[in-house]
Amino acid sequence: MNHILAKLSPGECPKLLHRVVDGVCGREPPRFADYSDTWSLVEWMELLDSISSLFRVAVGKNMPDKEVLAVLADVGSGCGETVLTVLRARREEIRQALVERTNNVSSSTLQDFDWQIKLALSSDKISCLQTPLINLSLDVKENGALKAVSFEMNREELQTLIGSLEAANKVVLQLK
Amino acid sequence: MEEVDKILIHSLRQTGTDVGKDVQSVKHFTSELIVEAVVRCLRVIDSALGSGLSPSLPPGMSARFRVGMSLAQACQDLGYKGEIGYQTFLYSNEPEIRSLLMFLVEKLPKESADSMDQPAGKLALLRKSIAAQIKAQLSVPWLPPTCRLPHLSKTQNPGPSHSFHTQKLSLPYCLKVPGKKLLKGNPQNTWFVLVSNDQEMDYQKDFLPPVTAQPSQHASVPASLLEQHAGELSAAQEWENEWNSQGLLSRLTPEEYRSRKRARLQKRIEEQLRTATQPRPDTLGAPRSGSDLTELLQAFGGSTVAGDILTKGTRFTHTEKFTFTQEPEKAAQQMAVAAISLPSSHQSEEDLQAQQQEELALLQRQLQQLSLSIEEVAGDMRQLTVSIHQVSDELKQKELSNVEKEDSVRVKKQTIDLLPDAENNLAKLQALVEGSAKRVVNLAAQWENHRAPLIDEHRRLKTLCSNREIESSRKLSEIKELHIKIRQSAEEAKKKEGLYKQLITEFENLPKDVSRSAYTARILEIVGNIRKQKEEITKILSDTKELQKEINSLTGKLDRTFAVTDELVFKDAKKDESVRKSYKYLAALHENCTQLIQTIEDTGTIMREIRDLEEQIETENGKKTASNLEKILEDYKAIRQENSVLVAKIREA
Repeated sequence: MNHILAKLSPGECPKLLHRVVDGVCGREPPRFADYSDTWSLVEWMELLDSISSLFRVAVGKNMPDKEVLAVLADVGSGCGETVLTVLRARREEIRQALVERTNNVSSSTLQDFDWQIKLALSSDKISCLQTPLINLSLDVKENGALKAVSFEMNREELQTLIGSLEAANKVVLQLK
Repeated sequence: MEEVDKILIHSLRQTGTDVGKDVQSVKHFTSELIVEAVVRCLRVIDSALGSGLSPSLPPGMSARFRVGMSLAQACQDLGYKGEIGYQTFLYSNEPEIRSLLMFLVEKLPKESADSMDQPAGKLALLRKSIAAQIKAQLSVPWLPPTCRLPHLSKTQNPGPSHSFHTQKLSLPYCLKVPGKKLLKGNPQNTWFVLVSNDQEMDYQKDFLPPVTAQPSQHASVPASLLEQHAGELSAAQEWENEWNSQGLLSRLTPEEYRSRKRARLQKRIEEQLRTATQPRPDTLGAPRSGSDLTELLQAFGGSTVAGDILTKGTRFTHTEKFTFTQEPEKAAQQMAVAAISLPSSHQSEEDLQAQQQEELALLQRQLQQLSLSIEEVAGDMRQLTVSIHQVSDELKQKELSNVEKEDSVRVKKQTIDLLPDAENNLAKLQALVEGSAKRVVNLAAQWENHRAPLIDEHRRLKTLCSNREIESSRKLSEIKELHIKIRQSAEEAKKKEGLYKQLITEFENLPKDVSRSAYTARILEIVGNIRKQKEEITKILSDTKELQKEINSLTGKLDRTFAVTDELVFKDAKKDESVRKSYKYLAALHENCTQLIQTIEDTGTIMREIRDLEEQIETENGKKTASNLEKILEDYKAIRQENSVLVAKIREA
């Protein structure tokens, strides 16, 4: 697999590797469009998969350098060295990302949230309402798929939500 | 009067009347301006009363007349006592207008009452303005996006519809990652662990894109930054809270506290996992009786490999995979060997298949047998290892007993060696024993000597220690109090700062165009002037009274003197002709003088009357009677014309 990596010039190699690590850490992975001259799509996918799994395994198992080099034996030694430097530089970051992933082992996890506050001035029945409303949208990851959940609450409902969240936090603190 | 006019004009401007800059006094007010000012004032005083009136004069004469009448009626309703009618507005004269305007301005709602309910008023004002804005925006017709003018595009375009998303950022000075290192680093250079190893530095220098380029969408940069910051802040705060509440009490360094907490957490998780997975092996009857955590984890790894999205390559899954993949390979090799050994291509396809199936069944049976035997062998091995353990334990025990026995043998040998010269040796031994006893007693005495000070020392140190403990707990509580105090004062300071800012803005918002102090100074001055004038008036009055008194006394004197003189002269007049003449002269003189006085008094009254009349003329002149008369005549003509037109229209109809 890794011999495909040798197609890239040594100057470009660390850049690509760092981008792949970015992808592992939950940021933007490298784009195929930038490398479409060098590899075909199949090769690209294969390469991306293999490199990211290599990084994950190497950090997850805390492999010593020699073992990593042994895995990379079929690549040129220069490339192997580069992979090692990248690995050493980003080890802590990858570890953090892996820990985060392990933390998210459950049916659905909260990825992100956003809120908006609106003031309802009047309704179709009441001319002067003056009720603040909050619009909370949650990005929930459920079985690997991102699902947007959005709901609107008035003041009392928001209080209830905050109360229950605080109670949950108390339970978590007690576990500590 | 100029002062009054200025104040009047200023308050009229505040009510919303458009008074031009060149209008300096009430004298310059035109009819239109008067009507507008009065209507605005009426609207402010009583919106119900003023809402039916229009602030501009209509062109038609009769309509103007009606407007004047209704305005006069409204003013009278408000309680204006002076003379008022349509003529006041249409054919104005200065003093009337001034008194009317003064009355209206006095009726205006006071500023003090305004400032009393300002907070509520402000809010209501804001809401009103929001409602007005929305109403205005709703009244504007919707235009398709291509036709919108710039000012419309602001209100009619849908706002920024994208919601904020956060992405993880990587920062060189991120606290999250080196937070772990902080545990390991020694306390002296906790902050230097931020400077990481060379390769990390190189990465940060050469490859790490700037924060603004890290998220895939540019819009999520601020959200991501804020999120990151909030996360770090809350983590730091939580840690500080915990440290203040529990960490300080534990009397450990932060590193020790952290490592202890980590150990505690790990133990807890282990326990949880163990209790959660305990019933499973029992129900399945699997041979996982040794509940080692690693084995449990292995079970986890094995079960999650199939369905889980993570499919993380743990060591256990890898070994498992390895064992699974090896066996098919073996089978394949065997298959190949079998295929080679078979006579090829003579048999039919079916035969070949049947044979292959047979072979397959055979091989599977073999495989099962093999796996069974492997399991058996594994069981044997386990038994054997157990027995090896037992045997080695036994061996150790035997060795120990051996050593003991050797010791006893040596002692016995020595005693046997001593037996031949028993007497001597016994004495020697006794001496030795005695010496030993003495030494022991000696040593005990010495020990006692040593012990007493040591025990004292120990007690002293103990008390010192407990004292210190008490001291430290006292200091801890002090520190806690200080923390609370610091927080309270910070909050207070924040509150006060907020108040200060609010007051500053309020102060800036205060109207500065009206100099109240100037007005009050002026009023005081006027009051002083009035007082002075009053004093002067009283002085003049007293002067007048004195004069009156003098005049009276003089008149009395004159009368008395005249009476005496008259009597004397009258007595003499009977005797002497010349005296009689002089009497006549006297009488004439007296009469003339009285007449003279009368004339002077008359002149005074006439002069006063003249002055009154002059004043009246002046006021009449001020009323611009002539020009107003002309205007009235013109308007009268206009009304007649309108009337005739109307009559003509009626006739035509």
